[in-house]
Amino acid sequence: MTQAVLDRPRAPERAVPRRRRAGQGPGYLFLSPWLLGVLVLTIGPMAASLYLSFTDYDLFDAPHWVGLDNYVTMFTRDDRFWHAAGVTARYVGLSVPLKLGLALVVAMLLNRARRGAGLYRSAFYAPSLLGASVSLALVWRAMFSTGGTADRVLAAFGLDTGGWVDQPQFALLAVIALAVWQFGAPMVIFLAGLKQIPKELYEAAELDGAGALRRFRSVTLPMLSPVLLFNLVLETIHAFQSFTGAFVVSSGRGGPSDSTLLYTLYLYQRGFTDFRMGFASAMAWVLLVVIGVLTALLFRGSRRFVFYAGEGR
Amino acid sequence: MNGRFGVRAGLVAVVAVTLAGLVTGCGGGGDAAGSTTIRFVWWGNEDRAKVTKAAVDLFMKDNPGITVQTEYAAYDAYFQKLSTQVAGGASPDLVQLDRATLGEYQHRHVLEDLSPYVGKTVDVTGIAPALLAGGQIEGKQYAVPGGQTTQMLAYDPAVFAKAGVTPPSGPGQSWTWAQFGEGLRKVAATGVAGTTDFGWAIDWFEVWLHQQGKQLYTGDGKLGFTAADLTRFWTLTGDLRAAKAVTAPEVTTKMDGSMPNSGLVTKHAGSEINYDSSLSAYLSSYGPGVKAAPLPADGTTSGMAAMPPVTFAVAQRSAHKEAAAKLLSFLVNDPGAGKLLGVARGLPPNTAIREQVCGAAQAATKAVCDYEKSVAGRIGPATGLWPTGSAAVKRDFQRGYDDVIFGRTSAADGAARVVQTAQQSLGS
Repeated sequence: MTQAVLDRPRAPERAVPRRRRAGQGPGYLFLSPWLLGVLVLTIGPMAASLYLSFTDYDLFDAPHWVGLDNYVTMFTRDDRFWHAAGVTARYVGLSVPLKLGLALVVAMLLNRARRGAGLYRSAFYAPSLLGASVSLALVWRAMFSTGGTADRVLAAFGLDTGGWVDQPQFALLAVIALAVWQFGAPMVIFLAGLKQIPKELYEAAELDGAGALRRFRSVTLPMLSPVLLFNLVLETIHAFQSFTGAFVVSSGRGGPSDSTLLYTLYLYQRGFTDFRMGFASAMAWVLLVVIGVLTALLFRGSRRFVFYAGEGR
Repeated sequence: MNGRFGVRAGLVAVVAVTLAGLVTGCGGGGDAAGSTTIRFVWWGNEDRAKVTKAAVDLFMKDNPGITVQTEYAAYDAYFQKLSTQVAGGASPDLVQLDRATLGEYQHRHVLEDLSPYVGKTVDVTGIAPALLAGGQIEGKQYAVPGGQTTQMLAYDPAVFAKAGVTPPSGPGQSWTWAQFGEGLRKVAATGVAGTTDFGWAIDWFEVWLHQQGKQLYTGDGKLGFTAADLTRFWTLTGDLRAAKAVTAPEVTTKMDGSMPNSGLVTKHAGSEINYDSSLSAYLSSYGPGVKAAPLPADGTTSGMAAMPPVTFAVAQRSAHKEAAAKLLSFLVNDPGAGKLLGVARGLPPNTAIREQVCGAAQAATKAVCDYEKSVAGRIGPATGLWPTGSAAVKRDFQRGYDDVIFGRTSAADGAARVVQTAQQSLGS
C-alpha cells in the first residue's frame, strides 16, 4: 500500500554463470532493435564526442589531436565559459526550487479538490506538454518584450520595468519564469505521492492536536520525501540541460549582454557558430561530469531527509 | 550447440535487416533518369524570396533537366542551418554568403574553387573587376557577387521634415558628423530617436574608420584598428545616446539587420544605417516614403564603399557542381532573371543588366538606383575581404557594445575587450 516510488537500488545480482547465458540469445534477439539504437544513436555518438573533445574538430575538416588543449583553454582562458557557468548556476538555483515549490503547492490544492480535479490537473499539466516547443518560447518572447503584454500589465501597476527580455537584469528571470510555469510534470508526480499517504496518519495527527502546518511538516513532508528526491534530481538534471527557452528568447545569442547565456547555449554557439566542435564536445563532457557529481551529492545528502516507509525509522 | 548457432544466425539476420533499413533510408532522394536535383539556399525576407523563386522557376523552364529546390531563412537561422547541413553531409549545392562568412567557409574547405568554371559555365565578363574581387581569395574565384551595395541612412522624410531637418539628397551632397548629430537631436526633440544606435555593427564602424584613413583588417588578415579608435567611435555614439538622439539599449540590443527587429521599422527611430540592398525591404516593411541619404563624413573620404551584399558559391560537397554553377551564372547574367530579381540583393552585379534594370526602374528599384547614382562619385572600391575569424569578431563587437549600452562596462573597457578577443579570433 505505501510502496515508495523510489525503491533503494538493490545490490547488483551476481554474474550469471556461463552455462545459463547460452539460453539468453533469444532475449538479445528481441532486444536487438533497442540495443542497436542505443549503440548507434547513444553510445556511438558519445564515444565520438569524447574523442572529438581532444581534437580541434571544426565541423568540416578532419579533426587533429590537440590533447587537453580544449579543457585547458576552457578553464584558464575563456571568460565566457565561466560567465555561462555562472548564469547556469543562477538559472538552476532559482528555477528548480521555484518550480518544485509551485508544483507542490498546486498538487496539495488539487489533492483536496473534489469537483473538477481532473480538469484542473489537465489544465496545469498542459504547459509541460507544450513546454519544450519553440512556438511557446516565441510567445514568451513576445509577451516579455518591450511594449509586450507583461510590460503593459506591470506598467498598469506602476512597475515600469520595460520589456524583460530586452534588458540584462531581467532577461534571465523571463527564461526562469518560462521554466517554472511548466511545473505540470513534477506536480503530477507529487499528486500521485500525496494520494499514497494513508489518511489514518492525518487523522491520528489531528487527534493529537496537530495543526495544518504541523501536519504538513510531520506527515506530508516525510511521507513525500522519496518523491521529492525523485523530482529534485530529475528537475536539476533538466535545468542543467535547458536550452530551448534561452535560445529562442535571445534569438540564439544569449543576450542581451550575455545575460541568458546558459551553458548549453554557449556550447551550441561554440560548436555551430564558431565552428569549434572539439571545444564544444569538451564542454559537453564537463557538463556531464558536473551533473553526475551533483546527482551523486543529492543522493548522498538525501539520506538525511528522505524517509522510506517500512524502514522502521 | 546447434541451437546457439541458430540464434547467432538469427541475430545477424536481424542486425543486417535493421542496418539495411538504415542504409536505404539514408540513400533516399535518388534522381529520376536524366534529371538533376540541386538545392539553392539563401537568407533574406519575403520579398527577396518571392523574386528569387520566380527567377529559379525561369531557370527550370530554360533547363528542363534540372530541378531546383529552394530554402530561405533569416540571417542567423540560415547560418545555423547551413553549418549543420554541411557538417551532416546534406550540403546544399548553391549557397549565399556575405563578407563575414565567405572567408570562414572557404578556409574550412566548404566551397568549390570556381576558377575552372569561369569562362565556361560561369560568365563573369559583365561584372566590374573591383566588385568581382569580392569573391576572390588568394587569386581564386570562390564566389561570385550577387549584387552591389553601399552603406546608406534610410530615413522617414516625414519625421525629419517635422523636425525641420533635411538630409542631403542630391548627387555629391553630404553632411558632416556635427550636422548629422544636430539633425538627430532635433528629431529626438519631436519624441522619436533620430536614428537607431549605430554603434552595434562593426560594418558602420568600418565606414567611420575608413574616414580616419584606417581599415578594419590589414591585407594579411590582422586587426587594423586599436582600442583607442573604437573608444572614440563608441564615445561618439555614447554622446548621442545620452541625448536620446539614438535608440535606447532595449531597442539597440535586438538589431540584426532584419526588418522585424529594425529600430526604424518598429518606429523607435526616424532613420537607420544599413546597406542599400535593404532599401526595398524598408520600403515594403515601413512604408513607401523611406528615402536614402549618404552617411556623414568630415573630410573628403566618404568611407562608403561599393561591395557585394551577398555572394553565391558552390559547395565542394555538391554532387552536381556543374548544374549549381549554371544556376549561379543564370542568376547573375540572365536578363530575364535580372528583371525579376531587380534590386533584391542591391544593384545587379552585371553592368549591362544593371543598366537595363535601372533604366526601367520604378518604386523600390528606382530608389536604390537613384541613391547609388547620387553617391557614385563618392564611394570607393570594396575595402578588402574580411579574413577568417571575422564572423566571430563581428559577433563579439555587438556583444561588447551591448555591455557598453547597458552600462555594464565603459566604452574604453568594452573596446579593449573587443580588440583583445578579436586578436584571438583572427589568430586561430
